[in-house]
Amino acid sequence: MLAKLAQRIGGRELTLLAAVVAAAVVFASLSPVFLHPNNVYAIIRNSTELMLIGLGLTFVLAIGGIDVSVGMILGIAAIAIGNLLLAGVDPWLAALAGPLVGLALGAFSGTVIVLGRIPAIVATIGLLGVYRTTIFALLGGSWLSGLPSSLSEIFAARIAGVIPTSYIVIVVAYAAAFVVLRRTPFGLHLLAVGNAEERARLSGVAVRKVRIAAYMVSGALCGIAATFYIANYRNVEMTVGSTVALDAIAAVVLGGTSILGGKASLLGTALGVLLIRMLQNGFTIVGLPSLWQPVVTGVLLLLALTLERAAVAGLFRRLGGLVAARRTA
Amino acid sequence: MMAATTSTTAKLVLLLVLFAGILASFALYEPRFLQPSLASTVLQFASMLALVALGQTLIVLAGGAGIDLSVGGMVSLSAILTMMAMSAGVPEAVFPLVPVVIGALLGAVNGVLVTKIRILPLIATLGTLFVFGGLAMALTGGASLSGVPQWLVPFGRGNLGGVPWHVLVLVVPAYLAVAGMLTFTPWGRWFYAMGHNERAARLVGIDVDRIRFLAYVLSGALSGLAALVSLAWFGSGRPNIGQNLELESLAAVLLGGVAIFGGAGGVLGVLVAVLMIVTLKTGLQFINVSAVWQVGIVGALLLLVLLVDLIPIRRRS
Repeated sequence: MLAKLAQRIGGRELTLLAAVVAAAVVFASLSPVFLHPNNVYAIIRNSTELMLIGLGLTFVLAIGGIDVSVGMILGIAAIAIGNLLLAGVDPWLAALAGPLVGLALGAFSGTVIVLGRIPAIVATIGLLGVYRTTIFALLGGSWLSGLPSSLSEIFAARIAGVIPTSYIVIVVAYAAAFVVLRRTPFGLHLLAVGNAEERARLSGVAVRKVRIAAYMVSGALCGIAATFYIANYRNVEMTVGSTVALDAIAAVVLGGTSILGGKASLLGTALGVLLIRMLQNGFTIVGLPSLWQPVVTGVLLLLALTLERAAVAGLFRRLGGLVAARRTA
Repeated sequence: MMAATTSTTAKLVLLLVLFAGILASFALYEPRFLQPSLASTVLQFASMLALVALGQTLIVLAGGAGIDLSVGGMVSLSAILTMMAMSAGVPEAVFPLVPVVIGALLGAVNGVLVTKIRILPLIATLGTLFVFGGLAMALTGGASLSGVPQWLVPFGRGNLGGVPWHVLVLVVPAYLAVAGMLTFTPWGRWFYAMGHNERAARLVGIDVDRIRFLAYVLSGALSGLAALVSLAWFGSGRPNIGQNLELESLAAVLLGGVAIFGGAGGVLGVLVAVLMIVTLKTGLQFINVSAVWQVGIVGALLLLVLLVDLIPIRRRS
């Protein structure tokens, strides 16, 4: 029964789920505050942006790419939304600007990486610098603050006391991503490109278009995340998005999406995001200063990759043993 | 294999033209920029980047998608741990060695992750960037640690005929040593061979993993030297001193003509590129352009140099 369930949702996801439950039990026993509805709401709310950015990065990692500038795309889109709100634009229209700006920036990043034939990590480090300066320039050295609460009223309201309304959009986004990845030619092409780019090209996949499209999906999702960022915080500070890339990459990798491409797990990404935000919240509650957060996340990322490599190596050894046993028999 | 890109010499010439162009435009905009102390200022600010970029050069040269994103984290953490070791009672006499040893150990962590556990360099060093940089901030709460021995400060601020001591004593010998190693020793041949074609290098018996591990250790040790320069210069350990060094060192290495996929390039170009980047930053500061523009301009430079690479490829195919 359990084995069947594991097959259905995947061993990695079950392991993660167990880790989430275990972490919750540990923190709950250390602090009575942890399971208070307000804190549960805080964890879920703080996961909002990362859920969407992680989802987008899942597409990018699936093609064997990476993007360390996602936090900056979120920042630029947030500034656009904020300025539109300040100018008195209808909140629904302002919310729409987020994904549009994100889509445009994603298209730009994708074009530079793919047509420029630059390794994604190098290109997005360069773009990270360019986008960060853009944020500084757009903000002009001060915070964007005192934004109207119109978006908060729409997206930060609570369902059942612990879930923000923004999660309606997030669930729809994950469902749509699932359909796209598993039921459309684009999804098939995406994974094919990640698995073996040359073979995909030879079988007639428009590799370059698919790769650029992955960055566009990611950009658009960063833009939607920016809408929720504004709804949650109602200001944009200079350092916006500076830790987002590490958190998102760690979440996606924890979730079982391969950094080499060709493999994507949406449920894994969602659980990875939840685990990371829960650990950050829990460690803060038990008294670890928030400066430790990048250390914890970084260690978690390296640990996940190490265990993954160890598991793969173990599998190969076992296979090798089987082959050797057959030969001697 | 990718088609050969612009030759190293052509790139160096291009770089020098760009450098001259930058100097000329600043001089035209503000003639006072070209004062005699300019060279001294640039060298003072270039020292740390030059050391870090040298390590980055070795790692990129050795191929295998080699990249060290953690250099800034290693510089910050080496500086902080050195100051903590001092307050824990390590004798002052060995002070200059401490950051180098710590840096080499941090580099060895990267080396193990990449060559033993076989995690992709970009993701392994991205992880350690946040672990090392985060530790430097977390251990200090973001505050500087003072207590650098007084006798070290002249080394960080003084100069001989306008050339800072740390450039004479650390940067010049380090570049000469690496240039010599790359040009005249078998090790150098191995670096280029494995960067050019790793499979072939393995087949002829080059111990690729050992050399790559060494490259990460060297990058760490050089980051430690950069930390030493910062300690002697500022008289204190700053937990964010290494910020943006991953971007700047990559920009210097690629501007300097090292092929991003490894196997081609040399240290002379990298040194010129370091001087150019620092001159550009100094010039921007001189004409009162806010420091926040620097990271964007360096980022744009990094992208441009890689896009320029495309032109000859297109013409050939």
